[in-house]
Amino acid sequence: MRQVRADEYAEFAAAQAGHLYRSACLLTAGDTHLAEDLVQETLGRLYVRWSRVARADNPAAYARTTLTRTFLAHKRLRRSSERSTDELPETAAATSDTPLRLTLLQALGQLPVKDRAVVVLRYWEDRSVQETAAVLDTSPAAVRTRCVRALARLRALLGEDIGEYARP
Amino acid sequence: MPHDQHAEPDFSDDPFEARLSSALHDAGASFDTDRAALTAAGAAHGRRLRRRQQASVFGAVTVTAVAAVVGGTLVLPGGEGGAAGQPAAPGTSVNPTPKPSDSGVTEQQMITTLQKLLPHGTVSEQTGRGSGEKPGYSATASLVFDDGKGPAAVDVAIDHVPPGTGEAQQTVQCPDKVYIPYDSCTTDRLADGSVVMLLQGYEYPDRRTDTKRWTAELITPTGQHVSVNEWNAAQEKDAPVSRATPPLDRAALTRLAAAPEWRTLVDAIPQRRSHGLADTQEPGAPVRSTLASLLPKGLAVVGRSSDETGFGYLVVDDGKGASLVQVNVQTGMNDVRDQLFDSGSEELPDGTLVAVHKEPGEKGGKGVVMWTVDSMTPDGRRVVVSAFNSGSQEAAATRKTPALTIAQLRKIALSPQWWQ
Repeated sequence: MRQVRADEYAEFAAAQAGHLYRSACLLTAGDTHLAEDLVQETLGRLYVRWSRVARADNPAAYARTTLTRTFLAHKRLRRSSERSTDELPETAAATSDTPLRLTLLQALGQLPVKDRAVVVLRYWEDRSVQETAAVLDTSPAAVRTRCVRALARLRALLGEDIGEYARP
Repeated sequence: MPHDQHAEPDFSDDPFEARLSSALHDAGASFDTDRAALTAAGAAHGRRLRRRQQASVFGAVTVTAVAAVVGGTLVLPGGEGGAAGQPAAPGTSVNPTPKPSDSGVTEQQMITTLQKLLPHGTVSEQTGRGSGEKPGYSATASLVFDDGKGPAAVDVAIDHVPPGTGEAQQTVQCPDKVYIPYDSCTTDRLADGSVVMLLQGYEYPDRRTDTKRWTAELITPTGQHVSVNEWNAAQEKDAPVSRATPPLDRAALTRLAAAPEWRTLVDAIPQRRSHGLADTQEPGAPVRSTLASLLPKGLAVVGRSSDETGFGYLVVDDGKGASLVQVNVQTGMNDVRDQLFDSGSEELPDGTLVAVHKEPGEKGGKGVVMWTVDSMTPDGRRVVVSAFNSGSQEAAATRKTPALTIAQLRKIALSPQWWQ
């Protein structure tokens, strides 16, 4: 990579790493080790494609899309020692945490991975249904279906008020 | 009111959604890490990827029958600018969408069609959205319809859903009542083979108001999808209930959703690039027994998973220690092709991509290594075979390398038997 490009990349990566990591932590329902791996993988892919990413209208959105797809590619592989989905990754439990944040992460962990991605894109990334559909390469109707199902599940798990997160 | 006609987030009118968003922002913000270290690790990973690509470019050109010289430019398969799809972030020019052959469906066509198909009554507040030229977007129409018994919001969205996919099935599958309370839900097959789900439910799952929402989701055998919603209020949310029930009964709602006019319009919407055959196929043969039949001679099987489609494993021993071999078989994976393969991947004459990884084990068993051969056909069918130098990923290594060589793993991954 030429020096100018390399500097551009370094600046971009430094500015995005924090947000990508936080998104990854939500996507993985609090598995911070996996989140770091996903961000590293994402930044690596952006590095390789930097000359194109830099020309994109919105490189940050491109980076987040890459992260989401990297997550889905990873999560769709099953492992011989896979944890069941209703078990909280121990990495989240190990951090000093409010019970409510843990409850939220645990609830996210109980959603199917694509439903979880929809929730994170819609309510953390604040993406529209159309944008979410584009990221997940699916139709807006499918996003709505997943969203309704995920919200109903989260309502059941968290309660209508979401505990102390409820704001007046 | 209509389906996602706004570009902005469109959930602010449900307090639960606002709370969820707020809770996610709080939870997300609480995560932090050593960003400098993470950035450095990302760049290092990128340099590794690039070296791998550069090292393999020459080999890829010489062995790849489909690499083609177009107008004097060598087109490499798989990588940057290759056949594999790039992630198309909204609003980026990274992956220009192929120009569709027609310009899709207009807002006016949607509104006119909905008005024409409604029974006798008055309509007002018509809005809608055309499909535009971007493939995969839905077209919508919404209006307020009054048959004389009170104004009611009605909206329609149409798009194309790949037939036979999980997405298609899910769309017409009644939701679990545990999660979404409703009065009735049925799924029926119509004479033309279309499947329609009729759901008589509520705008708010907690029924904080009595606004009823009745929905028809119809999918034809060729994947034309028509979604109709009607309410017993003039707006989806924040409008008083204007009548006991929405205006169209089950039969009328079905007629509206099944009208051939919608199908003509769906066909005019540019389709996303086809996901191909794979979406309509169930993932192949039972994995564990297929894997057993493909193992090289001289290996004793000392552990096994259940025998189902999609995933399975065996623990084998060649006399030098246990070695876990696990297989994932997936279909419809084209959406993540670009995350799994790069220009360092091998491409076979039939377009199948093959990537080889030698990595430390994922679960932290001491000294465990994982050798993986990942393969995917052009229509998105994927077989991933991984072997470990241990009988389990958590246990420490029992041997120096896995019991199978990369060549043997490759042969297993590329076997046609996974799809028989």
